[in-house]
Amino acid sequence: MEIIDQVLDIVAEIVETDRAGLTGATVLAGIAWDSLAAVSFLAAADEKFGKTLAPRKLTTCTTIGDLAALVEAAE
Amino acid sequence: MATVRWSGIRLAGMWAAVPAAVGTVEDLAGRFGETESRKIAESTGVAERRLAGPTLCASDLCCEAGRNLLRDLAWAPSSVDALIFVSQTADYALPATACCLQQRLGLASSCAAFDVSLGCSGYMYGLWLAGSLLNSGAAKRVMLLVGDTITRLVSPFDRSAAPLFGDAGTATALECDAGNTRSWTFALGTDGAGREHLIAPAGRLRMPSSDETRRRTEREGGNIRSDEDLFMDGAEVFAFTQRIVPKLVNGVLSAAGKTPSDIDHVVFHQANEFMLRFLARKIGVPADKVALGLKRFGNTTSPSIPLAMVTELEAALRSAPVTVLLAGFGVGWSWGAAVVEAGPLASVGLTVVEG
Repeated sequence: MEIIDQVLDIVAEIVETDRAGLTGATVLAGIAWDSLAAVSFLAAADEKFGKTLAPRKLTTCTTIGDLAALVEAAE
Repeated sequence: MATVRWSGIRLAGMWAAVPAAVGTVEDLAGRFGETESRKIAESTGVAERRLAGPTLCASDLCCEAGRNLLRDLAWAPSSVDALIFVSQTADYALPATACCLQQRLGLASSCAAFDVSLGCSGYMYGLWLAGSLLNSGAAKRVMLLVGDTITRLVSPFDRSAAPLFGDAGTATALECDAGNTRSWTFALGTDGAGREHLIAPAGRLRMPSSDETRRRTEREGGNIRSDEDLFMDGAEVFAFTQRIVPKLVNGVLSAAGKTPSDIDHVVFHQANEFMLRFLARKIGVPADKVALGLKRFGNTTSPSIPLAMVTELEAALRSAPVTVLLAGFGVGWSWGAAVVEAGPLASVGLTVVEG
């Protein structure tokens, strides 16, 4: 599975919404993405991808595609 | 990482005291909405918190816990050689709250008493200091009082903090026990570069109190607080624990010559349930060994470890020798962990304080 598909699954679960309504272009500010969601995403990135994300970089993400790119670039 | 190992120390007893007033998820729904409050409670694992009134202090809670502990152990107040008060919510800028508590508990004037200003790691530093005093022969008996009324520094309109925090005070009695071969192992550390992520920036000397610092305004995410209120960047706190705690726990286990299977109970700083479950998985500790006291008391900062020991492990601590792994981490950044071979404890209890 592509990283973007896994990230879409993760985001749908975090914001409790239908996966079918989300794409890489979906804007986080429009889907109840808050500080709690950000923390959940940090944990998911660790457990599903073994990656440690920097919170400062996470706050610059505006779309789900940005989240996927951040995961891909992370160590 | 500062690591040390001792024997000849006994944990005699521990008590906790909480305020009578209860804050609930329903109370939060009025401020943050029902759906939001439910989501926060599901993630943090906090259903209820105990809230200090406008003049109740951490020292009041610790004093009550300490009185009960001295009475229950039948320790003469004059037999306590040192009193350590760990808190970030002291009574005064000066004098030290430990001095007030020496007098209120009726301890002798020969008793050494001092404050330590630490939060989430505070109990670990308190135990380490108490153990150092006992191990060196500087004291035969130590009363360790650890408490905070942190909600008095939290804006009720800040949804990143208000739903999480609660108040408590604790007392832990430790003494020399020359024949005791069971060991205590500690690892501690600090990284002050993280101070900006968990801070009450104003109201003391660096940024003195003024009309400006007292004014609550809307901040990131619609949270409303002043510069004198506690600010917490939850994502930065999470990233810090993700980076530090697994190394800390593995380090102290290795220094103690133990593996997770040698540990009967793990008591983390009760940060929030989501984080504690994540850490348990990452470190490889079975979930049923991890004490969770968040549901009824929330995150009480410095006293969260001893409070969870009293409320979740009372029967285990009273009944037989146990090996516990304790780890505190957060504000500072500051952290500490210990493998403590303790028990059975003669006195463990919880009391409620009006106010």
